[in-house]
Amino acid sequence: MSEQFQPKVVAFLCNWCSYSGADAAGRAQRKVPAELVRIVRVMCTGRIDPQFVLEAFRQGADGVLILGCHPGDCHYKEGNYKMLKRHAILEQVLSDFGIEKQRYCLDWVSASEGEKFIRVAGEMIETVRALGPLRLPHTAESKETAV
Amino acid sequence: MREVQITKDLVVRLLQVIEPRFDIEKVNKVVLNVGSGLGISEAVLRQWFASLTKGSKLENVAVEIVATEGQEISGKLVVSTAERVGVFLCECGPNLKEALDFPALIEAARLLDNVVLVKAFSLLCSGDGQQGLAEDIKTNQLTRVVIAGCSPREHEHTFKKVLKQAGINPYLLRIANIREQCAWIMSDKQQATDLAALMIKAAVRRVLVQEPLEEKEIDICPDVLVIGAGITGMSAALALAQKQRKVYLVEQLPCIGGKTVRYEESFPNMECAPCMLEPKMDAVLHNERIETLTCSDVQEVLGYFGNFEVKVKKRARGVDEPACIGCGACVEACPVELDNEFNENLSKRKAIYLPYPGVLPNVPVIDKAHCLRFQGKECSLCEAACAFGAVNYGQDDEVRELKVGAVIAATGFDLFDAAPLGNLGLGKIPDVYTSLAFERMMSASGPTEGKIVRRDGSVPRTIALVHCVGSRTAEHRDYCSGICCAYLAKFARLIHHKLPETQVLSIYSDLCFPGKKMQPFFEQLIRETNTHYLRVRNPNALQIGQTDGVLEIAGVDVEEQANCAGGTLRREKRLNVRADMVVLAPAMEGSRQAEPLSRLLDVPVDGARFFIEEHVKLSSFATARDGILVAGCAQSPQDVAGSVAQGVAAAGMVLSRLVPGEKIQLEPAVSVVDEKRCSGCKTCVDLCPYHAISYDGEKHVSVISGVLCRGCGICVAACPSGAIVGQHFRDEQICAEIQALLK
Repeated sequence: MSEQFQPKVVAFLCNWCSYSGADAAGRAQRKVPAELVRIVRVMCTGRIDPQFVLEAFRQGADGVLILGCHPGDCHYKEGNYKMLKRHAILEQVLSDFGIEKQRYCLDWVSASEGEKFIRVAGEMIETVRALGPLRLPHTAESKETAV
Repeated sequence: MREVQITKDLVVRLLQVIEPRFDIEKVNKVVLNVGSGLGISEAVLRQWFASLTKGSKLENVAVEIVATEGQEISGKLVVSTAERVGVFLCECGPNLKEALDFPALIEAARLLDNVVLVKAFSLLCSGDGQQGLAEDIKTNQLTRVVIAGCSPREHEHTFKKVLKQAGINPYLLRIANIREQCAWIMSDKQQATDLAALMIKAAVRRVLVQEPLEEKEIDICPDVLVIGAGITGMSAALALAQKQRKVYLVEQLPCIGGKTVRYEESFPNMECAPCMLEPKMDAVLHNERIETLTCSDVQEVLGYFGNFEVKVKKRARGVDEPACIGCGACVEACPVELDNEFNENLSKRKAIYLPYPGVLPNVPVIDKAHCLRFQGKECSLCEAACAFGAVNYGQDDEVRELKVGAVIAATGFDLFDAAPLGNLGLGKIPDVYTSLAFERMMSASGPTEGKIVRRDGSVPRTIALVHCVGSRTAEHRDYCSGICCAYLAKFARLIHHKLPETQVLSIYSDLCFPGKKMQPFFEQLIRETNTHYLRVRNPNALQIGQTDGVLEIAGVDVEEQANCAGGTLRREKRLNVRADMVVLAPAMEGSRQAEPLSRLLDVPVDGARFFIEEHVKLSSFATARDGILVAGCAQSPQDVAGSVAQGVAAAGMVLSRLVPGEKIQLEPAVSVVDEKRCSGCKTCVDLCPYHAISYDGEKHVSVISGVLCRGCGICVAACPSGAIVGQHFRDEQICAEIQALLK
């Protein structure tokens, strides 16, 4: 276990659907197979400033996951659509920075989709594990010590 | 904040003792405990304190004087010091204690900056737990609190209250969700403990940069706007009309009663609908707490639950209501003739008209689009005919500005337009009618005064009723309106009553008779009348044509027979029947006025124009916008009983929440604009889903309404100047969490 690379994935979850979905997974005592994503709660995915994603990578995240309400179900009507638009730009910006596309993911998890949360979070961990630690030129040093 | 206990004795000594020891800049206030036995008045004490501190750093510091027993005088300075964070771990009974390594968690938390107390409780949410938490906050002079336990969605409210009781702002709390999102979801104890420690660290780092927020209350307006004066709206209005509350009942038509009042009889008890509604309509029109605005359209709805500002345009009727006695002399005098839409165009009306006999209010209305005078021609025949001077061409449209606390949309339904289908003959063959037209034909106040006759005046010997027109088909409306089978059975019963010799052919694909009355009604109908139910596969595929005045209906018939293996055999055969009259039962859809109203109310409608409810079962009469309710067929197809029940339910929701004199609490975690940084680009203005952001043209900055904002933070993330602060979800708070989770 200790030999294996343990990916650090930050997950931004909207309060209403996805955070509840993660809670639902816990209440159902559904277990993730290995590590869990590190959850940051925001009220809405529409609040997620692209800088938060960049900050997470800068601070040493190997992956960033964003989970919100399904399109049409946003508690604030359209916050998830705003995130979707930022998502397209973010994907572009991240690849320009040399961060693989797979390290960043946006998905929808409803309050009842505990199963889906487990699956998406688990897949993200495994995807990032397969990619290995993120090595950015300016964080390379700190990554070395972290790993 | 920390209270520093100062020795005792007199204020002079206090000052001498404390001044060199503390950074006086940080003193927030001085509390003096004064023994009442000393007999020093507060005014004298204040004077004394002021003279002693004159010229010192304490000169303008707030002084609080607390009367105590005895003859002692003591004081303490309340000074800002470094934050003192308490971390409370909940064992959640055996739940978390076994799943996580608690001693390790406690040890890790102790090492965190500013943490002065780490304590585990067996069940923090219990009465004892809450009490212990409050005591620990007080005795340890904690300034911020982190609780590690269940999801904040479970008990954040509970613990916020405890903080409040213990004298700390409730927004200086952070919860680390180490139960649902850690212990319960991780399979490995060590990994779970590591994650829990990380979550606690993130919570501590975050709570240190959290800000106290003020909880505000605002006054409410208990008055209510009800849109639509049909059976639903009237029921809601009557339930709401109580002491200290006014109800505005807005109706776009010139009359009240909606569609129900235009039916002859209503299922299941065959009660005369106008007779049933008359007392209700009377009660509405004569209730001094209900102001009925006919010929009126809602133009604007701004605001939020408790405080809506509404504009209603009342179109000029052209007849002064108080002066008119409803004699109808003006109507007779009018030379213009038009189809009467209130009789589904089966009769004519004038350009000044009463929609139907017995209408309420019994006051004619001028149809300006067709009145000769309003079309620029010389005509004042109606004015001349009126003996009471009630006709008033100069009457102006009026825009009323209303303040209400809640809005109930009861806009009812319209029928699916079956004319474009072509194959069913509606609009092409004169003796094919919609169900609403047939209701009017059977009504004593209708175009034929209740006689069932063909367009040529002859009596039909066979009448075909066609079910499910435009319903239950993916091509048009995929749902079942739920009442058509019942009213078509009512039609058959009424036809039998009026024309006993006439045969009724009810052409259906499936029957729906829910509730405690309709199935027996249907069975009695079959037993007692000349009604035949003919089953076809799809009524929408019928071909209805006309030859020599006789209507021919062709379709695919379905017969089902049980076969010996216990399954069913379906055998198709062609249906070919003739009739003299056809009545279609089209799907019910939301009212055509629902769509524009939806935009004003900011509540969406679905593809069939039904308002989308907050929850289809638990809260079918509320919407996603707090304070906007929806009832009756505005929400979904329903019968009269269901509409009344929902109207009253919506009224009940309003009654319980909009209590006159009570205030409502505002959410403090909303967004605010930093005017110094705002560049006035207005990006945020259009983004806000609640129209909470406006632009101040004088200051050239955006302004967020603290009452409209729901704190989603869309504007915060979008602001190119970083000028909008999402309180309680500030950038630095979220970033503190991100950093703590990674380093």
